[in-house]
Amino acid sequence: MRPSILARGATGLYLLAFFGFLFGPLFIMVVTALNSSSFPRVSPWDCLTFEWFVKLAGDERLHSGLLNSLIIGIVVVVLSVSLGLAGALFLARLGPTSRAVVYTVITAPILIPGVVLGISTLIFWDRAAQLFGYGTGSMFYNGIFLTVLGQASFISSYCMLVLIARLQRFDTGQIEAALDLGATNVQAFRRILLPFLKPAMISAAIIAFLASFENYNTTVFTISHLHTFTTIISQKVRLGIDPSISAVAFIIIVLTLIGALLYEAMHKRAELKKDRRLPEGDVLRGLFRRNPAMIMGVMVVVATAVGIWLAMGHSAEQCKADLLQQKLERQRQLEERYRQSLPAAGAGEEGGDPASQGLGAGAFGNVFDPKNLEGQAGVGGQEEGEQRTPAEKPGQSTFGNVFDPKNLEGQAGVGQEEEKPAGEEGQQ
Amino acid sequence: MGIAATARRFIATNGLGMALFMVLGVSFWVLVLVVLPQVTMVDFSFRPKLPPADIGGPLDQYTTANYEYFYRGHPGNPEGWNRVDMTVFGRTLIAAVFVTVFNFIFCYPVAYYLAKVATGSWARLLALSLVVPYWINEILRAFAFRIIFGDAGLINTVLKTLGIIDVSIDFIRADVALYAGLGYAYILLMIFPLYSAIESLDKNQIEAARDMGSPWWRIHWRIVMPFAKQGIVSGCTMVFMLSAGALAAPQILGGPSSLWFTQIIYQGFFEYFNWNRGAAYAIILLVSCMAIVLGLTKLVGGKAGEIGR
Repeated sequence: MRPSILARGATGLYLLAFFGFLFGPLFIMVVTALNSSSFPRVSPWDCLTFEWFVKLAGDERLHSGLLNSLIIGIVVVVLSVSLGLAGALFLARLGPTSRAVVYTVITAPILIPGVVLGISTLIFWDRAAQLFGYGTGSMFYNGIFLTVLGQASFISSYCMLVLIARLQRFDTGQIEAALDLGATNVQAFRRILLPFLKPAMISAAIIAFLASFENYNTTVFTISHLHTFTTIISQKVRLGIDPSISAVAFIIIVLTLIGALLYEAMHKRAELKKDRRLPEGDVLRGLFRRNPAMIMGVMVVVATAVGIWLAMGHSAEQCKADLLQQKLERQRQLEERYRQSLPAAGAGEEGGDPASQGLGAGAFGNVFDPKNLEGQAGVGGQEEGEQRTPAEKPGQSTFGNVFDPKNLEGQAGVGQEEEKPAGEEGQQ
Repeated sequence: MGIAATARRFIATNGLGMALFMVLGVSFWVLVLVVLPQVTMVDFSFRPKLPPADIGGPLDQYTTANYEYFYRGHPGNPEGWNRVDMTVFGRTLIAAVFVTVFNFIFCYPVAYYLAKVATGSWARLLALSLVVPYWINEILRAFAFRIIFGDAGLINTVLKTLGIIDVSIDFIRADVALYAGLGYAYILLMIFPLYSAIESLDKNQIEAARDMGSPWWRIHWRIVMPFAKQGIVSGCTMVFMLSAGALAAPQILGGPSSLWFTQIIYQGFFEYFNWNRGAAYAIILLVSCMAIVLGLTKLVGGKAGEIGR
């Protein structure tokens, strides 16, 4: 029986809403990375810019955090996959009763809140160090050491679950046959079981690395005075948000997307190979045939490459200058109105240099400083501005200053509705 | 059969190298990474906060002071009970239950669709698109909700442009952003167990019920859900435990006046440097979450400890 049109329509709508909720926030975050506004937002749109990526590239703390995360991730992968393998093999050799007990103990860390795991690891090694008389400079207080152990306690469980799923499909007769034919246990393990488990071990390694890389709850307790990528991002978000975090998200989302599509493509390819449905000889056609994920993956890679290439030649300075010009214009109008509302006071000075007005000099002084505008040779002339590369931009530093939210805080009239929220958010 | 004989047989069937790898690996994991740290934490939570010199000295006696503090507050507390911590604790658990229930209602149709309606590469594509957001950093996912729900965020901007509101709605203070962010973070962990449970249901059962004139909601209530009970229990358990134990999302999305219990634990550690009380609070969280999960599981007649199977 086919479902009615109404039912199918409702299903479609629900799926749309569901996946909209799933991807909407990510999409919005990615878009804000390209807006020049100092508060991450989509609307109102200021200028298309890549400056947040540049800002990111110069962030030393983030780099050292990234390095720590990579080190921790690699050690956790090695440790967790080994422990997960030991656990999976060990469970397979136990009787039903003891198996249930051991299983509960080693899958429990998945359910224990990460905060609790972090605290218990921290306290345990602190006590151990004191028991054995090691000082605070010893390994037992090293943030990386503690984080690896804290994370491995539950990531090993993930790895084990992945390996168990694969192990259940293993025909133990193969090992018995090898042993009967005179192989040693280690040989049988290395030549038969390990190759069989290899795909699952790769999946487990990927999962372990990602789980380690994004972990926050456990890490924040065990890392002590050091930092990982995630703890630094978290600090940044809490201290005041700016679009360079969106830029981080942009990079991570694109990498995840490419990774997921390529993973799916490889899976599909292996499947096609198994069914012998790949055309012989023609490598290129064989790579893309019946493989939408591969096509999409390559498209994302190409789009990213083109995007980066275009970004190299793009400069937001012209647009920003225009925007500034608009704001100045509005400011002038407001001033004009204000002056007109004052009886006669400013009448003689009509049309004079705004900087000499004295009105609001403290707040506007910076913006109106003639030096400030010196760099803007090309403000009206578009061809000139567009040809410049970002490095040669003379106006860059001065504009950077002007767009600082703090700079605008004092400006009663100018761009109030637009900029005030940014100032507020920045202070939180 | 003695332990020695069992060990000898274990080594004989697996070879010495493999036997050592398994036994040492599992014991290191179980003892050093899981059991001993937990036991130490429990021990630590029953001791007073002391300077390092006094640890092991005459002052280092077992005490329940850290737990008493949770419900009584300071000894001279005029209110008689620790209002802040207890309220935050209660609110955290209740909110986590709501997040879990909402998440289940939200995810069940999609899990059913994936398991029984979608087919072939379309189903795989949908499954893949479920996994991708899950691998984006938890902090960044929370950050995305901050952008959307913030004072100058997307929703407020849109509502203002449409002229529906004049003054920004404070979604952060109302905790709307927090609940949405928490629900979002654990979608995959709800869908996956639901999916694997529903998938093993024989389609004929659904067809039979439909042929006999059962409306769609009764098919779900009487056939699919009872069959997928274990998956529902697993999914809800994971989402509940993770939301109650979440730290990043409340730190980023929580309103200025509302705390999550994990934040109180965090403060105990890093602002008051009272590790003992922090440990006691961590145990309170762990034990109450486990009690709630076990109680509810028993209520619906599912089996606990079957997570991930």
